[in-house]
Amino acid sequence: MSSDPGVHESRHPTLKQYVGIAIFLFVVTIIEFVIILPMDFRGAGWTIAPLAILSAIKFAAVIFFYMHLKFDNRLLTWVFLGGLALGFAVVLALVGLFTAWTPSQRSFAGEHAQPCTFDHEYICLEYRPAPTPLPAPTPVGGVDPTPVPDSDPAPAAAAGLAATGQQIFLTGQGQGAATACFTCHTIEGLAGATGLLGPDLTHIGTEAANRQPGVSAEEYLRQSITKPETFVAEGVERAVPGLMLTALTAGLTDADVDALVAFLLEQQ
Amino acid sequence: MAHHTETSHHAPASEHAEEHPTTTGINNRKLLMWVFLSSDCLFFGSLIATYMVYRGQSLVGPYPVDIIDVPITTISTFVLLCSSFAMVRALAATNEDRQGAIIFWLLLTAFLGAIFIGFQVYEFNLFKTEGLRIDTNLFGTTFFTLTGFHGAHVTLGIVWLLGLAWVAKKGRLGPKTALDVELAGLYWHFVDIVWIVIFTLLYLIGGFDTGPAGDPSLVPHSITGFLGLI
Repeated sequence: MSSDPGVHESRHPTLKQYVGIAIFLFVVTIIEFVIILPMDFRGAGWTIAPLAILSAIKFAAVIFFYMHLKFDNRLLTWVFLGGLALGFAVVLALVGLFTAWTPSQRSFAGEHAQPCTFDHEYICLEYRPAPTPLPAPTPVGGVDPTPVPDSDPAPAAAAGLAATGQQIFLTGQGQGAATACFTCHTIEGLAGATGLLGPDLTHIGTEAANRQPGVSAEEYLRQSITKPETFVAEGVERAVPGLMLTALTAGLTDADVDALVAFLLEQQ
Repeated sequence: MAHHTETSHHAPASEHAEEHPTTTGINNRKLLMWVFLSSDCLFFGSLIATYMVYRGQSLVGPYPVDIIDVPITTISTFVLLCSSFAMVRALAATNEDRQGAIIFWLLLTAFLGAIFIGFQVYEFNLFKTEGLRIDTNLFGTTFFTLTGFHGAHVTLGIVWLLGLAWVAKKGRLGPKTALDVELAGLYWHFVDIVWIVIFTLLYLIGGFDTGPAGDPSLVPHSITGFLGLI
């Protein structure tokens, strides 16, 4: 066995060694089988270590003798063991990533998962960090001139509140634009509000009063915004039932909700 | 055999002498094969990792414990180990220029590999009739992907070996061209060691996994389960 790479000559094990290895592999496999033979041992945690060690021994026997790494240029051993180590690292990293930090991380992500609202043909969930408390909304000065199909001579304060509500409807305010109301709900005549996933809100101001017996329109709207799961009206067309979740509106302050309710009540 | 004086374009790789000097001192084809096998470790490592990540996460059956048959697969594992022995004999016969033996051992290796594939076809078919398909659950997906890619490696090896046997039949294999057989052998043994890992992991250890209602200790959900796997 020359160690000089220049005149390297790879030798092979003898027939006797080959037969010996074959018998050895056979015996080790028998031992592995015997370990898991008793019903009590099957899948038991303690069998993992001996089984892993035995298969590692078989692995080494094949690569060092059948693939004659032991008798070959040392560089080949490093080339192969390098790839093997990387492969092992990949396994450890992936398994660690997916198992070691469960369940807390996973349920955390699940708690804050929200329906993503981009133009997919399917519904998916995307992770959003927990909503952070936001400063109270400032009344919007320059309300955009979108016509609201209602011209009640309401008090100026109420009109300002409804205008703020419309702004929240279109921007999402504290919860972010991606989950703003308009992405799922249509209000005819309101530019941009053409979402198709949830119920049409064009006439919600009148419909709301009749949705739940004994509940006023205002109460119904308030509850439907803050606790959407509590009561789901029947007979209302919606493309994707169950999408509206408390988590979606958790970013809204009480003032935001007041404004939204005022705005929606105007949709007669 | 005075191969040192040969000037034939046919590589005079006599008894593993190099075709021409290389900086590493290793024949380029041989180095290439080892680098390929090294990279294949990453390939199978990823598939194995995927299996381990989703191990015990299937929500619908059949679960491994319902359909994995360890004794039958132990037999097919033996067959594959035996084929590795046949392979080293084929290389030895090539080095010793025993023409009949070269063909015999090469064909025997390919035959044993084919038997292994036969076991796998039988197993896949049985799983299918018992309701496990690649799209049934996470177990089915990861199991068929991993063992399927291994089976594809074995199948490729069989084709390679049959090609070599054909070359041997024409009398073109001998000590000078032993590297041709050696490279096929390296590939074949590698496929064998991959199976050693798969057999241990998917059959001996994972073969008794149950569904989510089963013993939670079998499911490597926790850090302890993760450490247990190491």
